[in-house]
Amino acid sequence: MEAMVLAVKAVGLRVGYLDSEENVLWAVREASFEVSEGEIFCLVGESGCGKSTVGNAIAGILPPHAVTEGELHIFDRPVIQGGRMNYNGVRGRIVSYVPQNPGTGLNPYYTVEDQFYYVLNSLYGLGRRKAVEVSRNYLSLVGLDPDRVLDYYPHELSGGMQQRAAIALALSTGARVVVADEPTSSIDANLRLQLIKLLLDLRDSQRISLFLITHDIMSAGKICDTIAVMYAGRLLEVGRGSEVVTEPLHQYTRMLVDAAPTLGFKKALRSIPGEPPRPGVVVEGCAFRPRCPWAFEKCVEAPPRVGVFGREVECWRYVG
Amino acid sequence: MSVGSKVAIKLERVTAGYLTAARGWRSLRRRLEVVLNNVSLEVYNGERVVIIGESGSGKSTLLRVVLGLLKPLRGRVVVLGKEVYSLPWSERVRVLRAVGYVPQDPYKALNPSLKIRYSLMEPLEALGIGDPEGRMARVLRLVQLSEEVMNYYPTDLSGGMRQRVLIARAVIHDPEILVLDEPTSALDVSIQAQIINLINDLYEKLNLTVLVVTHDLGVAQYLADRAVILYKGEIVEEGFFEDVLHSPRNNYTKLLIKSYRASI
Repeated sequence: MEAMVLAVKAVGLRVGYLDSEENVLWAVREASFEVSEGEIFCLVGESGCGKSTVGNAIAGILPPHAVTEGELHIFDRPVIQGGRMNYNGVRGRIVSYVPQNPGTGLNPYYTVEDQFYYVLNSLYGLGRRKAVEVSRNYLSLVGLDPDRVLDYYPHELSGGMQQRAAIALALSTGARVVVADEPTSSIDANLRLQLIKLLLDLRDSQRISLFLITHDIMSAGKICDTIAVMYAGRLLEVGRGSEVVTEPLHQYTRMLVDAAPTLGFKKALRSIPGEPPRPGVVVEGCAFRPRCPWAFEKCVEAPPRVGVFGREVECWRYVG
Repeated sequence: MSVGSKVAIKLERVTAGYLTAARGWRSLRRRLEVVLNNVSLEVYNGERVVIIGESGSGKSTLLRVVLGLLKPLRGRVVVLGKEVYSLPWSERVRVLRAVGYVPQDPYKALNPSLKIRYSLMEPLEALGIGDPEGRMARVLRLVQLSEEVMNYYPTDLSGGMRQRVLIARAVIHDPEILVLDEPTSALDVSIQAQIINLINDLYEKLNLTVLVVTHDLGVAQYLADRAVILYKGEIVEEGFFEDVLHSPRNNYTKLLIKSYRASI
């Protein structure tokens, strides 16, 4: 077996945002995880749990009022160390980002060719001809016909084509890690299947690492090597994709799976009672305690991270 | 609730579309883009019908036609026994009063500068219905929101709560038909389950006829007695949801079900 190269490594990463009164609202309270090269890593959680903030931290697009603690390494380069951030040589070149909505991620005034040219020119100083050459390669890699697509404006492409173009654009910089925010939400089943196949192909042929952010735990289970379930800024469960979905350990993961519909098997849909804590509200102990049916007196203390069957869970029920 | 034999909504060979610029946005010549082509559909009283289609298939246009917002080029639209587009406007409003509508995106559909109280009151004022306080209290209880919500602005609410407010607003004037456009596509999976259960709950409590548009087969499964598959503006398959799911006849339907199974 070849040696595992770590693409992304986070140790006790904390990211917060300063509000108008200089208070820090911590969006990510504690995240430690590793993504190896060629791995598909999925971060799953409800909206407002901090998953996009982790994605932005890896992609190097945190806003100026963000505050960081802990460490984040990308291919052994420390990009976040305590309060310092340094993405020089990493942002765009090693890590790139596919935005949530490809329609808004592409500049409506530029043709596809121009989009590639400006990205490649600003990163590597490529000339027009060289940039077109590179973009042709990547467009055909994602299954678009370069002769047709290069002259199009984004609005002339269909939703699926826009998404492919955005992925090609992200890959064209030679990035080794691609962060994709909700790549499959709000697209139709046919397109979603094509996109998933494309991502799996790219992983196999290019050995890129994919960091996917999604709220759909069922489709995450289909494609991911590793799933991390995030709640209120903490990772509650990290494990192999298929296992997390079929045999969830943490009660929150179980409830997420129960809430998702499966076609052809009409189980009662059980929604998760209550709402996740609002940003800035700190729940003592286990953050999921107020919504957890299995909470007991121990849960008022912060649960430790324990290893169970090769997975990591933050829950008192697995301690001792 | 039993499905009656009375037809609540009836579309007869409806063709509808929009005028778009013929070539280039500056052109003055307009070209007709036909979005719905010869669609016939019957929705019976007390039935839950889900229209399934991918984006661009014309499913939102179909709702616009039913809601009296887009006059079809050809065909008849009958809602509760009245032909909607041949009525004068004042009469049309009276018929469409029996229809409640939940728009697609809960993040865009509420006026951000109005407190929830005033958003809820709008249909009552427009239709001249009295006792707003009592009605508001009742619908908020129905959608399981506390009455405090009335004094909030939309930005204070989460996506799931906004969707509940929109559903409350759609049923505040006691409609007979509830029309929902992609009720869960903007929401998290955990909230999605709450909304699906809520819609089914209201369907039983209020004796509604429910017409839902969605692209998600998993959601459709829970909301549909009958499914209508729309593809490129035409109905390609129609039948009880379970039948369509287990023995689809149309090739497009087969592909849709196969790719849904493979991706989730």
